[in-house]
Amino acid sequence: MNKELEHSFVELLQKHQNIVHKVCRLYTNNTDAHNDLFQEITIQLWRAYPKFRGDSKFSTWMYRVGLNTAITLYRKSKRRITTQEFDSVEFKIKSEEYDDTEEQQLKVLYKALHQLNDIEKALVFLYLEDKDYREISKTLGISEVNARVKMNRVKKKLKTILNP
Amino acid sequence: MDELDLLKKDWNKDKSEFKNYSDSDIYTMLHKKSSSIVKTLFYISIAELVFWLLASILPYYSSSTFQEKLEASYANPLFLGLSILSYLVILIFIYLLYKSYKAISSTDNAKKLMENILKTRKVIKYYVIYNLIMIFLSIPLSLYFEYNENQEFHQQIAEFSTNQMLVLYGFVVVVAGVFLILLWLFYRLIYGILLKRLNRNYVEIKKLEV
Repeated sequence: MNKELEHSFVELLQKHQNIVHKVCRLYTNNTDAHNDLFQEITIQLWRAYPKFRGDSKFSTWMYRVGLNTAITLYRKSKRRITTQEFDSVEFKIKSEEYDDTEEQQLKVLYKALHQLNDIEKALVFLYLEDKDYREISKTLGISEVNARVKMNRVKKKLKTILNP
Repeated sequence: MDELDLLKKDWNKDKSEFKNYSDSDIYTMLHKKSSSIVKTLFYISIAELVFWLLASILPYYSSSTFQEKLEASYANPLFLGLSILSYLVILIFIYLLYKSYKAISSTDNAKKLMENILKTRKVIKYYVIYNLIMIFLSIPLSLYFEYNENQEFHQQIAEFSTNQMLVLYGFVVVVAGVFLILLWLFYRLIYGILLKRLNRNYVEIKKLEV
């Protein structure tokens, strides 16, 4: 039974691992930390998996556990001293219609994302993942109105960073 | 175009820059140790319980004179009552800790999760405060017991002048006070470091409600 559970979990996570990667990218700024957080989210997901009933989508459930781990549970690992920081360019894949100004803007935007605090990052993350305000508010435990207000503030903040 | 829309467009592109973990990679990860703050908090609370238990039990087994004295003092109803109370308190704390750990779930919403962890931290905090207060109270109490039970000590004290008595009490209180404050600062430091981020994020999420 346990083996079966493990198997189904690994299969699901393997398929949806991009969600975890995206959380890690937002909350860490080097490869070691990224891998560390990925590892911890995986453990937390696995621990919570027996309680996953399938009444929500696996991916939706992952957002919650993933963000909770990044914001609250994860304790930064000690071994993270000499690693180089990501260049924000790394986040960007080469798009076919290479647009220099857009490229530049994205570079600054990704950098700006890293300057937000943990809660703002969570909001932006869910927004980028196309979640509606109802789901954002349910994931974070705040009201829908407050989620909306805060999101608008974050948008303004990003705008100021981009166009000083 | 809105900055975030631009970002969204890029965000949802099929990214290939992430390492694609295989099934076996993930299997290996499942069996690695977690480094979550809840786990650390759990170890701290266990260490806390064991430490204070040992502190009360060890002297009993390490010295036979102490053992005899202690057994004799159980005849005193006040002492017996205090001992029973202290064991009861330990049981209550174990129960409260168990309950608050059970309540922590990574599938709750972020705010609830933070609150439950902070609640657990509070239970540990109260246990520490309780122990510190008990130490503080036990110092004058043990002086009082010694005074009543130990003839030699009684004799010595009886010869003291009022000034000497005041100095003795003052000294005991100051030493005990400094010791307790140091211990308290030590705890603050441990929890401060461990829960710094959690506290910051909790403040941030609470701010959204105002």
